[in-house]
Amino acid sequence: MAYDASQDPRQDVRERIYIPELLRGLAVTTRHFLRNLFRERDKNPSVVDRKGPNLVTTVEYPEERVPYPPGYRGLHRLVPREDGKPRCVACYMCATVCPAQCIYIEAGEYDPADPAPQSRVIEKFPTKFVIDELRCIVCGFCVEACPKDAIRMDTSHHTPSEYTRQSFVYDIPKLLKGPPVRHPSDPWQKRAASEPPPHEPSEAHARIGEGIGISYQGLHSSEEAAGSPTAVPIVRFPKSS
Amino acid sequence: MRRTLMACLAIATIVVAIVAFMAAAYQVASLAEGWFEGAGRLTNILFLMLVFVMIIATLLTVAERKWSAMIQNRIGPNRARIALPFLRDRPLGGLPHLPADVLKMLFKEDFAPANADRLLFNLAPVLAFAPSFALFAVVPAGPTVLMNGREIPMFVSNPDFGILFVFAIASLAVYGTSLAGWSSNSKLALLGGVRASSQMISYEVALGLSLVGMMIAFSTVQLTTITDTQAQYLWQTATDFDFGLPAWGIFLQPLGFVLFFAAAFAETKRAPFDVPEGESEIIGYFVEYSGMKFGMFMISEFVEVVVLSGVTAAIFFGGYHLPFGEQWLSRLALFQQNPWLFGTLLGSVFWIKVVLLCWAQLMIRWTFPRFRYDQIQALGWKQLLPVGLANVFLTGALILWDPSLRALAVIGILEIAAMLILTFSRGTPERESSPARAAPPAGAH
Repeated sequence: MAYDASQDPRQDVRERIYIPELLRGLAVTTRHFLRNLFRERDKNPSVVDRKGPNLVTTVEYPEERVPYPPGYRGLHRLVPREDGKPRCVACYMCATVCPAQCIYIEAGEYDPADPAPQSRVIEKFPTKFVIDELRCIVCGFCVEACPKDAIRMDTSHHTPSEYTRQSFVYDIPKLLKGPPVRHPSDPWQKRAASEPPPHEPSEAHARIGEGIGISYQGLHSSEEAAGSPTAVPIVRFPKSS
Repeated sequence: MRRTLMACLAIATIVVAIVAFMAAAYQVASLAEGWFEGAGRLTNILFLMLVFVMIIATLLTVAERKWSAMIQNRIGPNRARIALPFLRDRPLGGLPHLPADVLKMLFKEDFAPANADRLLFNLAPVLAFAPSFALFAVVPAGPTVLMNGREIPMFVSNPDFGILFVFAIASLAVYGTSLAGWSSNSKLALLGGVRASSQMISYEVALGLSLVGMMIAFSTVQLTTITDTQAQYLWQTATDFDFGLPAWGIFLQPLGFVLFFAAAFAETKRAPFDVPEGESEIIGYFVEYSGMKFGMFMISEFVEVVVLSGVTAAIFFGGYHLPFGEQWLSRLALFQQNPWLFGTLLGSVFWIKVVLLCWAQLMIRWTFPRFRYDQIQALGWKQLLPVGLANVFLTGALILWDPSLRALAVIGILEIAAMLILTFSRGTPERESSPARAAPPAGAH
């Protein structure tokens, strides 16, 4: 039913003569004005917890920041190995799963003669790993897809502002940050193959009845290998921020 | 605590600045008066209009943004900073926005629409600005004092037709508005101009009628005489320190004050009467203006606020007179020997009243929503006009009955009391229970 504007719905005499209502309205605004003018502003970034007579709810952004909720993941990063190179093995899983198609990878091959043990056991590494942050929809599929835990969204930072679009295209130096990560399943963490026994393997072992009573020294050497520090798997997790 | 102190410091700074400028005004006027007769009035133009009115008006542009922010629980403009070592991190109450705005407006392109009438388009901002500026010429900002054997006035002009000059010039301002709307050759601007002129017409009569009661009560239209009449007391204690109820217009004519304030508010074209601008719908008569021409419209609005405050203070709030203790103060040896000090004191009282009234206007502007167009017409023609007429007859009858104005004051105070009782009989809006509001009154739908 249409609103009948010809009939004044205000029945109360105080509304009809307008001025008392006007004064009450002024009382409200004046109260707000005086409280906000004279009283200190509570700068608690959690606005709902603000106390005091000052009613301002503003968070002055660059100086004051609202903390992100605990579930917030943030901008992604490439996880470094202990030697500072990315854990990424350029398998293209993330680039394939990415619904926004914002990841671009070019793979390179490690030199098998590389002295670094990590590089020696991995075939591929990314020569280019580029994420277009303007395209990224922060869905986290790349993190789910990564078999090597090489990309994570645990920085708790949002994408910072930039002056040009090109600055939002992040390459390896910009992406590679945060604490290094180690897993026991990393190929370079695997124990080396058993050492050959120190004695000359003799034919006698193969012959039935021969060599009985001779202690098998290879057992001792393998126990020593297990006790060496390099074989102890160490997993460090980055400090959650 | 720190904020309280800073706010008090800011208020004290304003008061000190007012006192200093007022003292300077008297001194300079005295010096100029020694040069030739009437030169003091020329320096009064400089001080009253350029210094006081213009500075208050320009500061009001920032104050409006900042105060509205405080009313609405915001912080308001504070991003403009001054790149000096100690000021770099200080918002300074948003004051750096003032030079920033001025520079922006000065350096913006002065654009005119292709088919605009160039002459009228350029003339309109001047026509809008000049009348509101000229209005202040007749408002006395301080007492006439004796310095170096010469009488130093604190007004620009004191014609016998004081209030009539105000009415005449105030209605001239609509020419600038409607010409701006017409010459822009834009439909929205034209709508704004038409709305402005129709609003002016509907409030002009109420504006005139609202002050007739004051003219009857004070038997004059000269603003200096009206101001000085308000220095008297209606009732007074018989002590050395004079204390009593002064014959201020607000006590004699509260109804006239409400009518005048509403009508004059409509003349300034500010919310709740900002239909000519109507930012949300037609942007207004200055939609095609840019740069400093728009700035002229903008600043003329604030000049009108200051002038309206000045006129209201002079007519209804005793002008430059203190509510009590003035005669006692004038008998002090300090003020007897230095009359200009007394003038400075009273002049500062006037400007403090003006600033407070400006504040009240801004509070009203940020409290009330815009009237609908038919509501404006209904308010102007069907309510303000008849009530104004009734006020004229009632005032005339009461003054015939009791020429000492006391009967008028009794009725006036009864009116104020009735309004206050009606206001407080409802309780504060925030404590009011919501179910009572939820039930719509019969006939609402």
